[in-house]
Amino acid sequence: MIPKKLAPALALLALSLAIPSVYAQTAPAATVQPTGNAVDPASIEALKNMGAHLQTLKRFQVSTELTGERVLADGQKLQHTAAADLNVYRPNKLRARMHSSRSEREIIYDGKHATLYTPAQKYYSTVEFTGDLGELIVKLEEKYAVQMPLADMFLWGTPAASFDKIESAMNAGQDYIDDDLCDHYAFRQANIDWQIWITTGSKPLPRKLVITNRSDEARPQSVSLMEWNLKPTFKDSVFKFTPPKGATAVELHSTDKK
Amino acid sequence: MKKSLKTSFVASLAAFVLLGFAMAPAAEAARGGGGGARAAGGGGGGGASRQVNNSSRDARANNVRNTSVNNVNSSRNVSRDVNIDRDVNIDVDVDHGHGGWDHDYHPVATAAVIAGTAALIGSIVYSIPPSCVPINYGGMIYQQCGSTWYQPQGAQYIVVNPPY
Repeated sequence: MIPKKLAPALALLALSLAIPSVYAQTAPAATVQPTGNAVDPASIEALKNMGAHLQTLKRFQVSTELTGERVLADGQKLQHTAAADLNVYRPNKLRARMHSSRSEREIIYDGKHATLYTPAQKYYSTVEFTGDLGELIVKLEEKYAVQMPLADMFLWGTPAASFDKIESAMNAGQDYIDDDLCDHYAFRQANIDWQIWITTGSKPLPRKLVITNRSDEARPQSVSLMEWNLKPTFKDSVFKFTPPKGATAVELHSTDKK
Repeated sequence: MKKSLKTSFVASLAAFVLLGFAMAPAAEAARGGGGGARAAGGGGGGGASRQVNNSSRDARANNVRNTSVNNVNSSRNVSRDVNIDRDVNIDVDVDHGHGGWDHDYHPVATAAVIAGTAALIGSIVYSIPPSCVPINYGGMIYQQCGSTWYQPQGAQYIVVNPPY
């Protein structure tokens, strides 16, 4: 029920609202036009080019600083930070070190054995595996619930990174990440929105990745910044894990087992 | 993994008894550097020499219902069980809630608050019983001590839900 006193005021309000909308209808529809295609093909092409370029890198170092969020029971969010440094020698050698104020861990793969190592306690778990880095990453996650930092960097450009699930893709312009001029793209797929900043030019490298998790109304978000060194000086011996003195072998729990 | 209130309560009670029993001798062992105490050690990436001390952290900070994700091409992005029915069954589906490489906080979220044992899950201890078995789950080290699970955090341990 609308009180009588208010009725004229409301009528006036309705009128004032109606005028701009009439105007909008008759104005040239130049500014806001719905795009015919929600998935901009050029943005997908940019991802493909970046993925193809990543796959051509044989020996490199990449490091990342990540800010992640945890959503507490009542929806309040807490941020935390973590970092990772990776030495990579394709197709099948990798050493990753993940560190934060809470823990320090390593994943070492020499093409035959994958080892998870916790230096503080000298605990290590080794599993046999042969395969390339993309396969290792998929297997570690599926079978052991272990996620590799920067896993996407190894999956883009392979069949494991499908762009079919992308429901929306757009070019969001250009931006600087440090001193690098980057193209900024934004995507939506399933429960996530994500943005990527890729260096412009013929050797596209991802410099920043933001992922918004829409499966929770608090929308926890991660921000990863990436630094690349394409002329690394590490030796092949970094990919070999020899248990240090006093180290203890620990079972790596497989998610197959319940 | 479903846990009824009742079993949680019993497990927590057992943990409580175990803890009370274990604390004193283990603490002593830690000082002596021997016995069953294990040095939890710290993270301290980048050669940081100062140990992180989380003993002042509010228990609510551990009550995590969801997290950010770090990778686009992850099978774990898809669904996380965030429905916590606090009244009857506590759905401890941390299997899929524990994905990102930065999630070195164990999600104790689902522990909810159970009367009388609230201090337990999420509480910090300085040492653990010598009988504990280390297990690597999801890339993180846990110490399983019967029905009680601990996760090292800095130089301390936090009492967590069973990770699987």
